[in-house]
Amino acid sequence: MEHKQTLQLPVSVVGITDVNRLDRELVAIDEFLRQGAIREPGTTMKLPKTSKLFDEIVSMNDLNLIQEDDRNRLRDFLRDTQDSAPRLHISFSTDPSPLFLQRLMNYLREKINPRVLVQVGLQPNIGAGCVVRSTNKVFDLSLREDFRKKRRVLMQYIQKLEVHDSKQEVKA
Amino acid sequence: MDIFGLAAVLIGIVAATMAFIWLALRVSGGAHASRNPNASHLDQAEKDVEHIFNDEFREELRNRGRLHFEKIIGENAMFLQQDLRLTTSQLNEFMKTEITKKLQGEFSKYEESITDAKQMAIESITKTQEAIEEQRQMMGQQLLQEIENEKSRMVKRFEENLGDIVNHYVLAAIGNQIDLNDQLDYIIADIEANKEVIIQDLSDGA
Repeated sequence: MEHKQTLQLPVSVVGITDVNRLDRELVAIDEFLRQGAIREPGTTMKLPKTSKLFDEIVSMNDLNLIQEDDRNRLRDFLRDTQDSAPRLHISFSTDPSPLFLQRLMNYLREKINPRVLVQVGLQPNIGAGCVVRSTNKVFDLSLREDFRKKRRVLMQYIQKLEVHDSKQEVKA
Repeated sequence: MDIFGLAAVLIGIVAATMAFIWLALRVSGGAHASRNPNASHLDQAEKDVEHIFNDEFREELRNRGRLHFEKIIGENAMFLQQDLRLTTSQLNEFMKTEITKKLQGEFSKYEESITDAKQMAIESITKTQEAIEEQRQMMGQQLLQEIENEKSRMVKRFEENLGDIVNHYVLAAIGNQIDLNDQLDYIIADIEANKEVIIQDLSDGA
């Protein structure tokens, strides 16, 4: 249990899709090593390709995948993440860049939860900002909502402008 | 001459006829009277009478009576003709007067009924005009009320959707210039403001 907690998700791993991919890659490597153990020496075997994301999680957690324990640790961690990691759905007005997502994930992993996963959505009509949806709640942090909240301020300005215009008309 | 005059003329003619008949009977009755006891005198008188009133004299009397009767008949016929003409003219005049009076009465009734109908039509038109005017005023008020309501509704809707309107305008105006990377600090600040609630919700689970 203690080992599981020591493992960390890199900020490049954003959503559940990434975790699933890591799990598939780990399964492929595990299968490869298991098959290698039972095959006769001299037969050719094709090493499964791993993604940059997989390399990152391995290097970040200082794992040696040759060791079955490390592979088991990583597999348990990934399965546990798939099952129980907290998830957030965040919608933006445009598709976010990888750098933007990295910085955001950095903040979320640091301040909200170290295992939090994010599903990115797209809502072009929000203007700016984002809409965050957690398990039970929705946080509209968009510019549209900000305008709605500050509607009275806008109305006051409009009324002031109307009064100003009517005064100018009277003067004219 | 009226109907009474005509009756008097007829009565006169009938009386003259009766007098002539009576005279004739009297003359014949005298012959029977000569059979009295004094027959000789009577016969003598009768002979004298026969001598005086002989056939020629009688014939002359008869002719005179006939002429007189024809004269009377002619005069009375003339009078009757005159009276008839007069009566006819009076009757015509009377009929004309009566018909004129009747026609005038009918015309006046007709005119009165036309006047009444006209008055009723005018009253009906006036009432209709009043109703139309009232309806027009009511519709005008309703229209003004509807316009006022619609205006209030539009203003209210505008106020309610002001955020969306401004947002839409901002997006249309500078939407392409808003970079998501520039918003990161703003987004992180907003999430930071709601951090506790988010953490609480994530820890509570579904």
